[in-house]
Amino acid sequence: MKRLGEALTLAGMAGAGLTLWLGLTWAPSVAIEAFESPDAQRIFYWHVPSAWAAMLSFLFLFIGSTMWFFKRQQWAWRLHVASSEAGLATGLMCVLSGTIWGAAEWGIPWDWTDVRLNTFAMLTLLSLFLVLGRRSQPDGIETRDTFSTFGMYGFLLVPITYFATRIWQIRHPGPVVGTSEGSLNSDMGLVLLAGAISFTILIVGHIISGMRLADLELRLEDLASKYEEVI
Amino acid sequence: MAVLIELEDLTVRRGRKEVLTGWDLKVNNGEVVVLIGENGCGKSTVIEAAAGLLNLEKGSSTIQNQIIRDHQGRRGRASFGLCLQDDCVMGDELVGERLTDVAQVEFDVKSLLAEWNLDHRINDKIAFLSGGQRRKIAVLSGILPAMISEEPVAILLDEPDSGLDDLSVDKLVENLLNLAAGGHGILIASHNEKISAVANRIITFPFFEEKQSPQVGNFTKIETTTASKKNVGSRLNIRTMSGLANNGIAGLLVLGSLLAFINPKQLDSEMLFAFILAPALAAGLNGDPVFKLLQENRAHAWWYARMAAPPNAFFHVFLGCGALTILSSAIAGYWDLKVILSGAFLGAFTAIIVAALSHATLRLARPNAVMLRLLTPILILPWAILVSRLS
Repeated sequence: MKRLGEALTLAGMAGAGLTLWLGLTWAPSVAIEAFESPDAQRIFYWHVPSAWAAMLSFLFLFIGSTMWFFKRQQWAWRLHVASSEAGLATGLMCVLSGTIWGAAEWGIPWDWTDVRLNTFAMLTLLSLFLVLGRRSQPDGIETRDTFSTFGMYGFLLVPITYFATRIWQIRHPGPVVGTSEGSLNSDMGLVLLAGAISFTILIVGHIISGMRLADLELRLEDLASKYEEVI
Repeated sequence: MAVLIELEDLTVRRGRKEVLTGWDLKVNNGEVVVLIGENGCGKSTVIEAAAGLLNLEKGSSTIQNQIIRDHQGRRGRASFGLCLQDDCVMGDELVGERLTDVAQVEFDVKSLLAEWNLDHRINDKIAFLSGGQRRKIAVLSGILPAMISEEPVAILLDEPDSGLDDLSVDKLVENLLNLAAGGHGILIASHNEKISAVANRIITFPFFEEKQSPQVGNFTKIETTTASKKNVGSRLNIRTMSGLANNGIAGLLVLGSLLAFINPKQLDSEMLFAFILAPALAAGLNGDPVFKLLQENRAHAWWYARMAAPPNAFFHVFLGCGALTILSSAIAGYWDLKVILSGAFLGAFTAIIVAALSHATLRLARPNAVMLRLLTPILILPWAILVSRLS
C-alpha cells in the first residue's frame, strides 16, 4: 500500500502516453472545413484530459483547504500541499497545450478577453502561488491558515471556468462531450475517454504520493525540532 | 465590580506549537494584572489574542462586554488601549497628530507630551525620533484612550517598558496607578519589577497567581474638546506622495511606453479604449499607496485591532486613475465622460483587490516573501471586458 501512489502515477503516465500516441496516430482527422488548422486539433487529446485532471486537483485542493481550515485535520493539509502541486503540473500542461493549439487555430496564442482562458490560467497561477508561497514560509498555523484561505476562495474560479464557455462564448469553444452540440465521433470519444481515465489515475497517484511526501517532510521537521530540544 | 477584559477557555496555536491551552482570565475595572514569565512562554500571545489579532482554536476574548474575537471567527471592536511589543506607528505620522488620531478628539497634546519630555517633538515625524522616544509614543497610544475617558476602559500593554529609560518607566508606573484609580482595567506583559509592584495580581506562566495591594493613585481625566475625525490614509498619502510615486508613475510609464510604438489617433475602436484605459489599470495594479507605510513597525496590527478597514488611500487612487484616463483621452483626442469614469473605477477596483490580497498575507511569518504578483494577471480580465464593452 505504501507504493500505491507511485504505482498509480506510473500507470497513469503510461495511459497518458498511450492516449497521446493514439491521438496523434490512430484517431480520425476532423472535418477539414470546420477547422483552420485540422492537424493541430489532435492536441485536443492532451489538452482536454489535462484540463479535467487540473479541475480534479482544484477540487481536492478545495477539500483539503476547507477541511484544514475548519476541522484542523492533518491529512487535509497534506491534501492541500499535494493537490496544489498536482494542479500546477496539470494546469501548466493544459495552458501550454492550449496556447500551441490557439496559435495554430486562431492565429494568436492567447485572448485576454476570453473568460475561460483567463480564469483557467488564473487557477494555474493560484497553484503556482500556493506552491512557491508555502515554500517561502516556515510551517505553522499562520502559513496553513493563510494558504488554505486562498485555496478555498480560489475554488470560486472553478465553476466560473466551467460555465464560462456556456455564458460568454468569446473564443474558446463550448463543450463537445455530453451535449447535443458535440461533434465527436465514436473513435474520437474512445481516445478522449482513455485520456480522461489515464489522467484521473495519474492525478490520484500523484496526489497520494504527494501526501506521503508531505507527511515524511513534516515528520522530518518534527524530528529536527525534537533533536534541537534534546541538545 | 465590572469585568473589562475576559479571556475564556483561550487556546491559541502559533507556528507549530499550541502556546495557550484553555486559558481563562478576567480583569476587573480598577485592576492592574501583570503577566510574567520566560521569553516565549506566551505573554505576548495573551495580549495579542485579547486584542483580537490572533485566530483562536478555542475560546473567546471579550473586552468591555464586546466579543473581540472567538474561535468561530466572530469579530467585534471596542475602544480599548493597545501597545504591542512592536511600536506599531508609521514613520510618516507626526507625533502630535498620532496622539490626536488615537484619541479621536482634540485635547491639549502639548501638555501631555511635556510630561514625557516630548513636547519639543510635537510637529516632527515619528521616523525622526530615537527608538526610546518612539516607544514613548507607542506607550502613550496604548494608555491614552483611558486617560481621556471617565468610563472604564481596558488597556493591553505588551512589554511597555522595553527601551524606556528609568525616568520614563517611573512615569509609566505613575500613570498606571492613576488609571487604575480611575477605574480602568489594565493587563500588562512585563519583566519589569517596578511595573509588577503596582499590580493587584501577578500571573506567572504557566499559571501561578499572586495577589497584592499596591498603593492607590489619583486619576484626573484629560479634558477634551471637539471630535477629531481625519482620514489618516489620505493625509499620509498626500504627505508622502506615495500614490504619485508608485501608482502614478506606473500609469505614466505605461502611457509613455505605448506612445513610443503607437499613434493613438490611428487606432480602431477596441484598441483605442484599450490604450485609454491601460494607464489606469497599471496604476491600480500597484494597490493601495498606504499599504507599505502600514507595514512599518507592524502598524497594521494596531489599526486592525482598532477598526475593520485600516487607513487607505483608495479615493486618491480613484482620482489619480481618473486623471490618468483624462490624460490618455486627451492624447488620443477622444473625450467621453463614461470612459473617464470607467478608468477611475477600474483603477480603484483593481487597487482594492490588490490591497485585499496583500492584507490577506500579513499574518504570515514572512509576508514580503510571498509572490502576490502571481495572482494579479486576473485583473487584466476586467480591463479587457471593459474595453470590449465600451467598443
